[in-house]
Amino acid sequence: MEEFLGEFSSFVMIGLVNGLVYAVVALGFTLVLGVMQVINFTHGVLFAFGAYFAFTAQRYFNLPFWVGLVFAPILVGVLGIILERVAIRKTYGGNPLFGLLLTFGMATALEAVIRMVPIWGKVGYSVKAPEFVAGSIELGFMTYSKYRLFLAVLAILIIFATWLFLEKTPYGGIIKAGAYDSEMIMALGKNLPRLRMYVFGLGAILAGVAGVIAAPIYSVKPAMGTDILMPAFLIVVLGGIGSFWGSVIGGLIVGMSKSMIVMVFPRAEDIIPYVIMAFILIFRQRGLMGEKSVLEA
Amino acid sequence: MPSQQPWRKKLTHPMVWIFVLFFFFPRFPFIGQYLSLGTEVMIWSLFAVGFNILLGYTGLTSFGHGAYFGIGAYTAGIIFLRVYPGFWIPLLLSIVGGAFFAGLVGLIVAKKRGIYFSLLTIAFGQVFYFVAFRWEELTGGETGLSKIDRIPIGIPGLFQVKLSNPINYYYVCWAIFLIATIIVWKIVHSPFGRVIQGIRENEVRTRYLGYNVYFYKWASVTLSGAFAGLAGGLYTFLIHSAFATVLDWTQSGNVVMMNLLGGGLVNFFGPILGATIFISSRDLLSAYISRASYALHFEIDWLFIYGLIFVFVILFIPTGILGLISGKKRAVLR
Repeated sequence: MEEFLGEFSSFVMIGLVNGLVYAVVALGFTLVLGVMQVINFTHGVLFAFGAYFAFTAQRYFNLPFWVGLVFAPILVGVLGIILERVAIRKTYGGNPLFGLLLTFGMATALEAVIRMVPIWGKVGYSVKAPEFVAGSIELGFMTYSKYRLFLAVLAILIIFATWLFLEKTPYGGIIKAGAYDSEMIMALGKNLPRLRMYVFGLGAILAGVAGVIAAPIYSVKPAMGTDILMPAFLIVVLGGIGSFWGSVIGGLIVGMSKSMIVMVFPRAEDIIPYVIMAFILIFRQRGLMGEKSVLEA
Repeated sequence: MPSQQPWRKKLTHPMVWIFVLFFFFPRFPFIGQYLSLGTEVMIWSLFAVGFNILLGYTGLTSFGHGAYFGIGAYTAGIIFLRVYPGFWIPLLLSIVGGAFFAGLVGLIVAKKRGIYFSLLTIAFGQVFYFVAFRWEELTGGETGLSKIDRIPIGIPGLFQVKLSNPINYYYVCWAIFLIATIIVWKIVHSPFGRVIQGIRENEVRTRYLGYNVYFYKWASVTLSGAFAGLAGGLYTFLIHSAFATVLDWTQSGNVVMMNLLGGGLVNFFGPILGATIFISSRDLLSAYISRASYALHFEIDWLFIYGLIFVFVILFIPTGILGLISGKKRAVLR
């Protein structure tokens, strides 16, 4: 019994930690989707860039973990803003097809860039967890990696900070209004192009920071962006497009269901979230927390 | 082809010379020897033309139709290896398979439009990839299915065509491609085709005119899924195997790109032009890039160039080559 409990709780923890990483990724994705109506395929590769920047800071510059944690997301944010300014903004307001294909092409090219950079290359790397959270902790019924607990706390802090920003600051109000009706925002004298640029930057930062904190538990490799993007699509659909808590809960559902099913039927790991998504969509057309939005027009 | 036109006009119809070109392709100097490439071009053209019912005519961007191509590919392979080692039966069932699963997903996605539709098709498109990857007993998992032979077709005792000969397979694909293209032409120029174009222009108005918009969108998803399945089945017999990579989402991206590149949004034949350029330049380009990499002592990833071409096409020729030639800036397809 005790053994089962230990095993069970460790699966719960794995699901929780993965779910929190998914949630941070999905938050940035749904923010861009809601405000710009662009399905941003580059979101995954921005996540990968976050991880690679952190990896480079640690491996080649011997910098402590927190430096990567602070500066890698900023670099990714700058990269995101460049992408938005150079190309993505040209697709706003048109057929959704164009934004989709443009970011798809960009994501493909950027992933190839990772493979082409000599110090990154095609192989996978591991990133060391910072000293003070290295090793594992004894919890009585289970032992658990300290870093994963640290990651969970970090992810919750990031989610909380994003929530504070969106709910308690005037900027958050403008962003939410922009997702609701972007033309009205312009009519009220807000600088819509600049707002969109910042929102894209914010989305990129969220992708980047998720990449940094996930780097020590995932293998840092070129395809890691694609691997994280697939759950993001799912989460946004099952949680409800544009919904903050929908993304968080959706992330946890996907993370949990994947790790739970491994205990009983490991092969269904990749498929179970889709089954859940289909069920939710049958009963709630717009996802768990989705509301009627301009996206459907 | 509208029947009221005189036969002389019929002969100058683009469909006629496109298929004449494809018919004489194996006789062309230099390029004619690349029969397998030619067959692949026709298979993808078929896929793209069918897909355009949904993309160009109904105005719905599916980013998951690679899945139905893959389902067709696997259906043909599985039926051939386990049930009936023929040609027509596996091929027929690959159409059924593509249509069935597209229809199933269509039940949910057809309620949506615009970007929500696209998002759902991406989300659902992936599930088939994972199924193919994990259900090893049926699909062979990572190694996929192989040894799918092209057995001879014909009427027993009367005549026989050896499909194992690439030239024969080329012409069988040519004939199927021709029939499929005529069927798609008939579909989009029928009253049904008018309604789906109405949905593209204004869905709400079409609904108020009394049409069951949900049914028409569902039918459009399913029909394009059927053509995707057929193309997948033909592809399995071309390469004698089926792998999970045919279900990958890059395939979904590729077929959208082919449509767009050729001008599928402004012309019925755009997808054929796009698929031809896409498939032939893919091989040519990757060869050139590897040569350039060797000369520069720096390995240029071919996907880097591929991604940049996507970006270039979207930014500078959004209505594709035929759109550029005809000067059409907006997506209008009649």
